[in-house]
Amino acid sequence: MNHPADNPVLEVRELSVGYKNTPVLRGLNFAYERGQFISLLGPNGAGKTTLLRTLSRHLPPVSGAIQVRGRPLEKLSALELARIMAVVLTDKITPPLLTVEEFVALGRYPHTDYLGRLRPEDRARIHGALDDVRAGYLRQRQFSDLSDGERQKVLIARALAQEPQLLLLDEPTVHLDLRHRIEVMTILRDLCRHQGITVVASLHDVDVAAKISDRVAFIKNSGMMAWGSPESILTAGSVAELYDFDQAVFDSALGGLEIRGSVTAGRVFVVGGMGSAAAVYRMLTKKGFAIATGVLQQHDLDFHVARALGADCISVEPMEPVNGAGLDQARRLLATCDLVVDTGFAVGPANQGNVELLTTALAQGKTVLSLRENGAALLSGAGSAHLYPCRDADQFLHLLDSTVLTNAMQQEEHA
Amino acid sequence: MSSTADLSIAPMQGTFLSRRPLLVFCLLICATVLLLLLNVAIGSVQYSFSEILAVLRAPFDTSTASAIIWNIRIPRAIAAVFGGAYLAASGLLLQIYFRNPIVGPYILGISSGATLMVSFVMLTTVSAGLTMLSPYLNTLAAFIGAYVVMLIVLAVANRVGGGATLLIVGLMMGYLCGAVSAILTALAEKEKIKGFVLWQLGSFSGFKWNEITLLLLGGGLIIVLLYCLSKPLNAFLLGEEYAASLGVNIRRFRLLILLCSCALAGMITSMAGPVAFIGMAVPHMARLSFGTSDNRILIPGACLMGAVVTSLCDLIARSVMAPVELPLSAITAFFGAPIVIFLLLKRRVKL
Repeated sequence: MNHPADNPVLEVRELSVGYKNTPVLRGLNFAYERGQFISLLGPNGAGKTTLLRTLSRHLPPVSGAIQVRGRPLEKLSALELARIMAVVLTDKITPPLLTVEEFVALGRYPHTDYLGRLRPEDRARIHGALDDVRAGYLRQRQFSDLSDGERQKVLIARALAQEPQLLLLDEPTVHLDLRHRIEVMTILRDLCRHQGITVVASLHDVDVAAKISDRVAFIKNSGMMAWGSPESILTAGSVAELYDFDQAVFDSALGGLEIRGSVTAGRVFVVGGMGSAAAVYRMLTKKGFAIATGVLQQHDLDFHVARALGADCISVEPMEPVNGAGLDQARRLLATCDLVVDTGFAVGPANQGNVELLTTALAQGKTVLSLRENGAALLSGAGSAHLYPCRDADQFLHLLDSTVLTNAMQQEEHA
Repeated sequence: MSSTADLSIAPMQGTFLSRRPLLVFCLLICATVLLLLLNVAIGSVQYSFSEILAVLRAPFDTSTASAIIWNIRIPRAIAAVFGGAYLAASGLLLQIYFRNPIVGPYILGISSGATLMVSFVMLTTVSAGLTMLSPYLNTLAAFIGAYVVMLIVLAVANRVGGGATLLIVGLMMGYLCGAVSAILTALAEKEKIKGFVLWQLGSFSGFKWNEITLLLLGGGLIIVLLYCLSKPLNAFLLGEEYAASLGVNIRRFRLLILLCSCALAGMITSMAGPVAFIGMAVPHMARLSFGTSDNRILIPGACLMGAVVTSLCDLIARSVMAPVELPLSAITAFFGAPIVIFLLLKRRVKL
């Protein structure tokens, strides 16, 4: 995808953007290459829209230079620019009595004669643009009757009818349902890959941006905080700083956000591994439990989820057996917990220590909820009076609620 | 990419000049011609068909019949056709410009501005000494009034935006202009008042041939220019920002739209007085009957529709209570107001 940097589609140097000489963003330097997908990320009001409007010449730059294919933006005529750059804006437009086909045909403006008459090649391009956004079936529908998702696809088709090399989109997925959100994003990615169009979009979904973009720009604090490939600059720390939140954590290995909760219930020790615990962690977090977990091998899926959720996590090096110091640490941690969960992890020679943890817990009289198919068989012998087998997540959640109650009652009795 | 086979089965509906617009155009042209003839044939003095034919065959005869038909009825019929056409075109432009379906030259106060300036000319003596210009003085005054009000409405619209606000500003401008006109009327001499009041009711009577020439040449030129602008006007359906991104020079184009729109509305108002609702309702009637927003169809379409509606209204105004002539604006209001209410109820238009 990385073409040599000798001819960027768009390049800015020391650009400041804003309104009436009051810069919103300062000192921007970047180049957009052919066929790249560029995401602008940042909180509301950071200046993403202002930047896009400046790049599309709806706003004059406060200072600095913008070059489109090696030529200064201000030197291009309106029609020349329209043949290179197309935009999809956020304002809701509802021109009455236009079919989708007529609407998309308006995008041929820079290519048609003074009356805007359509030649066969114009029609071919219009139909091609509708097919590119998988909206060919909408051709004869009234534009004003479309749903938000259909409308967005048609707006992109209209932009494509301009045959642009650069496509700027302001929040293209906002207000869309999940299906159209994914559809619009994959359409845009395909435009980059198959037609070499450079796509610049301001987005709010960090996880989607991470998975689709070639370059990501962090827009915040009147400048570009970071610029680079999502793999290099999207980290838990940078995302939290960008959006100023601590309720959720971005994990680049998981490629998404884990939502943390405030602790309102007791403390649970989860014995898991190999991905068996990820869903359990999330359920416990939703219910307001504090989580301790172990012993996990590092870079296990569970390890990433547990860390993102802020669990006390005991781990060993990848491929190392669970024993020794790690196991001792886990035992001490387990002793401080009110409840133990067996996630039903696969048992093998490397994690016999975890089975030991469970039997120890039962022997100590801890309540153990087990999601294992035949938990009783594995853990038999140890005081199974406190072993509660769960068939599925629903039963687990149900038991969680009831044991919380009984535990609370027991604590009152002790007091 | 679509294949050739795909192209060949693409239905032709929605393409430039497909069947429906063609049919509507034919109907409207027939209706225009028919109404033009009726307006010449029908009047308070009744002539038989053969008499009219004879007069038409021998123009500028010295008979009374010839005078009535050639100097009163024909100019009036032509004025109604073109007056309606231009008002409709003006309204269409304003609706595209403001992206608001309920605007028109009358509603936005443009007609009131023209009325105000005309009242200055007709009711006061400020025009004394300008007798050389007198045939064109009304027109000039109407232009100035139209543009001044337009500028004020624009200035406010730029600040606040929003359809309802725009309408209220237009209405208020109308009231203000009306107030000044009323004061001028109170202070004016009696014989001047009568002329002004008659003019203010709106009527296509009393058009002279030199006015008709001005109407045809000046207005015709603007309509041709507008037709050449139909491509950027179509781009404007998407709003200014999209239009700019498509390659329209927005600043120049905005100016051109407003100049044309005010020129058309001002010209008609100066000659025929303020005529309500044609500018607002007719573009909708055209849009619905042609089933499109494509201005390459709508500009001629709205003009024809305006011609038909205005001719019909004029015919009704003249003939229903003949020999008493009803004010034209009253008849157009009977047409226009229900249409606007209907459109709002049908949710075809939004404020």
